[in-house]
Amino acid sequence: MTSIDTTLAPAAPALRTASLSRRIWKQAFASFEFRLGLGVFLVLALAAAFYPEISGIDPTKMVVRDRLLPPMFFGDNWTIAHPLGTDQIGRDMLVRSLVGLRYSFLIGVSTVAVMLVIGCALGMLAGYYGGKVDAVIMRLTDAQLSIPMIILAISVLGVSRPTIPAIILVLGLSSWPTYARVTRSVVMTERKREYVRAAQVMGASNLRIMLRLLAPLILPPIIFVSVLDVARMMIFESILGFIGLGVQPPTPTFGNIIADGRKYLLNAWWIATLPGVFLGLTLTSINLMGATLERARNRVYGGVS
Amino acid sequence: MTEAKPVLSVRDLTVDLVLGDGPAAARRPLIEAISFDLKPREILGIIGASGSGKTVLSRALVNWIEPPLAIAGGSVTYKDRNILTLPRGEMRALRREIAYVGANPQGALDPTLPVGRQIVEKLRAVAPEIDRKEAEERAIALLDAVRIPSARSRFHEYPSQFSGGMMQRALIVDALVSNPAFLVADNVTQPLDVTVAAQVLRLMRELTVRFDTAVVFVSSSLPTVAEVADTVLVLEGGRVVERQATKSLVSAPTHAYTRELIGQIPQLWTDTSAPAATAEDAEPVFSIRDATRSYKVRKRGTFAAMSTVRAVRNVTFDVFPGENFGVVGESGCGKSTLMRLLSRLELPDSGVVLADGKDVAKLSGKELMQFRKNFQLVLQDPFSSLPPRTAIGAILEEPLRTHGERNGKAIRERVLTVMHEVGLPASLYDELPLGLSAGQRQRVNVARAMVLAPKVLIMDETLSSLDQTEQFKLLKIFEDLQALHGLTYVFISHDLAMVRRVCNRVAVMYLGEVVEIAGNERLFFDPGHPYSRALLSAVPTLEARRYKPEDCLLEGEPPSPIDLPPGCSFASRCPNVFDRCRVESPALTVRGRSDFAACHLVDPHGETARELVEEPA
Amino acid sequence: MFILSFLARRLAQGALIVFLVSLLIFTLLRVVPGDPVRLMAGGMAPEALIEQIATEMGLRDPILVQFGRYMGGVIQGDLGQSFVRPASGASTGGASFSDSTRGERAEVLTLIGDTLPMTLQLAALSIVFALIISFVIGVPGGLAPGRWPDRVAFYLSSIFISLPNFWLGIVLALLFSVKLGWLPAIGYHGFAYTILPALVLAVELSPVLIRTLTSSLATIMTESFVAVGAVRGLGRARIVFAHALRNASVPLLNILGIQISGLLGGVLVVEFIFDYPGLGLLTITAVLQRDFPLIQGIAIVTSAIFVFINIAVDLAATLIDPRLEY
Repeated sequence: MTSIDTTLAPAAPALRTASLSRRIWKQAFASFEFRLGLGVFLVLALAAAFYPEISGIDPTKMVVRDRLLPPMFFGDNWTIAHPLGTDQIGRDMLVRSLVGLRYSFLIGVSTVAVMLVIGCALGMLAGYYGGKVDAVIMRLTDAQLSIPMIILAISVLGVSRPTIPAIILVLGLSSWPTYARVTRSVVMTERKREYVRAAQVMGASNLRIMLRLLAPLILPPIIFVSVLDVARMMIFESILGFIGLGVQPPTPTFGNIIADGRKYLLNAWWIATLPGVFLGLTLTSINLMGATLERARNRVYGGVS
Repeated sequence: MTEAKPVLSVRDLTVDLVLGDGPAAARRPLIEAISFDLKPREILGIIGASGSGKTVLSRALVNWIEPPLAIAGGSVTYKDRNILTLPRGEMRALRREIAYVGANPQGALDPTLPVGRQIVEKLRAVAPEIDRKEAEERAIALLDAVRIPSARSRFHEYPSQFSGGMMQRALIVDALVSNPAFLVADNVTQPLDVTVAAQVLRLMRELTVRFDTAVVFVSSSLPTVAEVADTVLVLEGGRVVERQATKSLVSAPTHAYTRELIGQIPQLWTDTSAPAATAEDAEPVFSIRDATRSYKVRKRGTFAAMSTVRAVRNVTFDVFPGENFGVVGESGCGKSTLMRLLSRLELPDSGVVLADGKDVAKLSGKELMQFRKNFQLVLQDPFSSLPPRTAIGAILEEPLRTHGERNGKAIRERVLTVMHEVGLPASLYDELPLGLSAGQRQRVNVARAMVLAPKVLIMDETLSSLDQTEQFKLLKIFEDLQALHGLTYVFISHDLAMVRRVCNRVAVMYLGEVVEIAGNERLFFDPGHPYSRALLSAVPTLEARRYKPEDCLLEGEPPSPIDLPPGCSFASRCPNVFDRCRVESPALTVRGRSDFAACHLVDPHGETARELVEEPA
Repeated sequence: MFILSFLARRLAQGALIVFLVSLLIFTLLRVVPGDPVRLMAGGMAPEALIEQIATEMGLRDPILVQFGRYMGGVIQGDLGQSFVRPASGASTGGASFSDSTRGERAEVLTLIGDTLPMTLQLAALSIVFALIISFVIGVPGGLAPGRWPDRVAFYLSSIFISLPNFWLGIVLALLFSVKLGWLPAIGYHGFAYTILPALVLAVELSPVLIRTLTSSLATIMTESFVAVGAVRGLGRARIVFAHALRNASVPLLNILGIQISGLLGGVLVVEFIFDYPGLGLLTITAVLQRDFPLIQGIAIVTSAIFVFINIAVDLAATLIDPRLEY
C-alpha cells in the first residue's frame, strides 16, 4: 500500500481537477455543433479584433463619393474594398459591424458577470438558509421578474444618460433574478442531500459548506447557462441601440446601425439587414457552443441530454 | 389422465447484453439456456442474488426486452405461439392474458392521473369490448377484493396519495383486472415494509386461487419465495442451477449455490450466538431523555392552517460504551428524525440529548467540534450521500481539513489507512464515486466517518441498500473496527435479522414512540409489546416461526402521524386491543431488570408479560 | 375549496409583488438624473416657472410622500394623469408648453385601457404560433433523443434564439410586405396587421419552449411508467399523447409563465417596428417623453398581468399534476 501511495501522490490533484471539466470539454468538442460554433466564433472574433485596425478604415468617417455601395456580388458597382457595402454617407459596413461586435461582446460579457455575481450570491443565501431570508429574496426576484426587464432598462436609461457602464449595470441589475432562482433551486435540492448532512456532522460551518462543497457543484452548470446569456444580453444591447438608448452614435453598434439603415430600407436594403445577419451569425455561434456545453454537462453528470 | 398442459413453456431462453452497434457489437449473455414449464395454478418461485439475471428473465417472460438487451435464442411459448417473435400488434392483444407487476410500484403509473382511471384505461386497451361503466365496476370490485379500504373513493385518488403497500395492491388489481392466464411478479415485496409485505404475500396466495392464475414469483429473498411458491427455481449467473419443490429445496438443497444461499439466510431463533446484553453500570455515551420533535406542515388546501407531524414522541433511552444499540421500526416510525436528533442536525423541541453527559443543544465552538469528531454518522443512501463530482480521496480528506489538519502528507496517510481498514483499494483514491457499486460507496461513507477516529458511529440504514453478501462483509468490517478502536455503534434499521445478529440491546419504535426496549435475547424470545410480535411474525425466514402473522398481524397500515388517534398508537392494528387502549396511552413499563415495554398488558411486577398470543382470547 | 384558498394565497402574494414593483419603479424614476418638468416645460422655460410647476405637481416632496400619495390613488383605481399627453390625443411638450391644468391631461388608465387589448391580441396570437412551432419541432425531437429530429430541434432553436427581434421584424416586413405583398405590416387597420408581428414574437418565444419540450419529453419517456405502460398493454400513441405529453406539459406551462415577461418586453420592440398601436409603443413614447405617471402605470399593469397569468399557469399545472401544491 505504501508503495502505491508514493507513486500516486503527485498526480492526484491534477487528475482530479482535470477529469471533470476535461470530460465535459471533450464531450462538447467531439460534437460537430460545438466545432461549428467555435470555428465561426473564432473567425468573427479575430476579425473584430484586428480587421478595423489592419484595414485602416475609420468606421465613422464620411466618404460621400462611396455612398450606398451595395455588398459584394450584388448590383453592379460593388467593390472589394467594401465587402458589405457602405451606408448613406459612405461608411464601410464591415468595419462598422465589427466595431459594433466589439462593443456588443464587451457589454454582453460584463453584464453576465454582474448578473452571475449578484444572482448566484442571493440565490445561494436564499436556498441555503430558507425561511425568512428565502422569502424576502424570492419576493424581490418575483417582483423583478414580473416587470419585463426591457421596460425597466429603458425606463432608467431613457431618463438618465446611456453610457456604457450605465448600460452594463442596468442590464445586469435587471436580469439577475433568473440566476437567483436557478441557484436557489439547485442549492435547495443539493442542500437536502446526505453529503451536505455528512459535512454538517463533520463539523463544517455553513460558509464552508456553501463555498467549498456547494459552489463548485453549482457554479459550473450555471456558468454554462451563462454562455447562452451572453448572447441574450448582446441582443438586449442591440435592442437598446435600436431604440436609441444604447451606446450613442457616432460609436457604431448593431442597434444604431440597423435603426439608421431602416430609413433606407427600400433603396439600400443591406444597411439594415447585413449587420443583423452578422449579429445573428455571432449569436448562433455562441448559442451553439453554449447549448452543446450544456448538453455535454448533462451527459457527464448522468442525466438525459 | 396425463399431466395438465403447461400455461407457459420456456425453452433454451438466452438474452444478451449488446454493447455497441452493428456486427462489431460486444455481446454478453445475461441469462443462458433457461428452460421450464409453468403449470396452471402453479406458483413458481425464481430466486437469485442481484445480478443473477432474474429481472431480465422475468421481463423476457412478458416479452419486454429492450435495447441494450436482446433475445439471442430460445422461445417462450404461450398457447402454442412463441411470444418473443410476435409482431407488436398481436403481442399487445395478448397483454390481456399476460400480466406483470414490478418492483417499483410508485413509478408504474402516470402520476398525473387517478389510479382507478388508469386501471380502466388498461382494461379497455386490452379488452375494448368492455364498456367504461362495467370496467369501472370491475376495477372497484377488485380494489375492494385486495382490501383497499373504501375502494370506491380510492378509485379517484392519485398514485401519490397511495402508500407503497396500497400502490402494490392497486398494481396487482391492474394486473388481474383482465383475468390473465399468468402473472409475472418481479420482486413485488422488495420496496415494502415487512408487515406490509407479509400482507401482500398473503394476498397474492389468495388471489391466485380465486382467479385461477398461474404466477411466476421472482424475488431475491428465499424466505419470501418459500412463503408463496410451490416450486422454486434457483438462478445463478444467468443459469438455472436447481429446481425443486419448495419444501425439499429448503430441507435438501442439491446445488452448492443453493446451500450457500440458505446458509446466508439469517436465523432469528435457531442461532444462539447472539450478542448478550451489556452491563449497564458504565456511564452512558448517549442518553436521550424524553425527547420530542414535531414538524409543522401546511395543511393541503387551506390558506394558512398548519398541522403538526409528531415525528418523535417522548423518547428516552441510554447507549453504553462499547455496545451495539439497535433502533428498529418501519418506514415513518421516526427513526430518521431520531438519527437527526442524536447527531445534532436538529434539536429536540423538548427533552434533551446528552452526549458524554453534556447537553448537545448547549454545545458550541470547540466543544461542538469535539462532539462532531466523536459522534459520527453513516448515512443510508449510498448514492446521494457522496458529492458526485469529488474524488474519493478528496471526500475522505475533507473531514480532516474541516477539523483543522493542515499537513497534506499526514492527511493522505490517514485517509489511506482508513481506506485500507474498510477494504477500499488505494487505487480508488483519485476516482470519482460515479462508477462505484453500492457496497463500495457505503465503504466510502464508513471511511469518511472513520477518518476522524470517532467514539460512536450512528448507522442510519447503512446496510439496507446492500445485498446479503455485501452486508455480511460490511458487518465483518464493523466488527473488526470495533475490536480495533473500541467503537460504540447505534444501528438504526428496519432489518430485524441484522439487528438480531449484531445488537446487544434493541429499541422498537412505532409512530414516533419507543414501544419496547429489550436485550437481544429477550426481544426475540419474549417480546413485551404486540407490535414487536407483529414485526417478528412478518420477518421473512425459513425457520419455524415463533409468532404467526395470522395471530399477530391485522390488516391495515400505520395511521398518519398527523392525526394521531388518542390512546395507544398501535390500537388500530393490535390483535389484543381492548377498551382502555383506545383512550389511554400506555407508558413504558419496566419488565424485569432492564427491559421496558409500553403496553397496558405488561405486568410491571411479573417477570414476563402475559402471553395473550398463545391463549385464544 | 382548495382552489379558493389557493387563489386567496396567490392573490395576496401577487398584491405584494405589484406593490414592490410600484415601489421599485417609482423610486428608480426619481433617483436617476433627469427632470421631467424641464422636458415638459421646454428648454426655454425660466427656472422659476419650472420650480413652480414642479412644486404644484408635488414633485419636490420627499419620495415616500409622493409614493404614498400615488399608491393612495392606485388603490382607488386612479393611476394618475399623464405629464405630457392631453386628453384629446396628440402629445404636447417641448416649447409649446402652456400652463394647462391637470384636468386636461389624459388619464393613464384610459391610455392603457385603449392600447392593452391590442397588445393582448398580439400576445395571444404569438403564443398560439409559438406553441404550434414548438410542438411541431419539439415533440419529434423529444421522442428521438440523439437522432435527427432532435438535432433539427437543436439547430432550429439555436438559430431562432439568435435572431434579434427588431431585425427579424424588419426583414420579414421587407420580405412579406414590401417584396411579396402577402401581409400588411405598418400600423393597424384590421386583424391581418397582427400576423407579422405575432410571427416575429413567436420566433422569439419558441426556442425556450422547444428546448423545454424536447428535454422534458425525453426525460419522461425514460420514466418507468412509460415502459410499464407498454407491458400493461397500452398502445404507443396512447402512451405518448395521453401520458407523456400530459406530464411534459407541466414544465412547458411553467416556462411559458416565466416567458410572459420576456414576451411583454418583445412586444415593446415589435410594436415599435410595426408601428402597432399597443402598450409597447405607448411605453417607448412614454419613456422618451419622461412621462413618469404613464411609465409607472404601465409597469404596474404589466406586473399585474404577469401575476395573473402565473396564477393561471400554476392553477392549470396543479390541475394536470395533482402532486404540485402551491
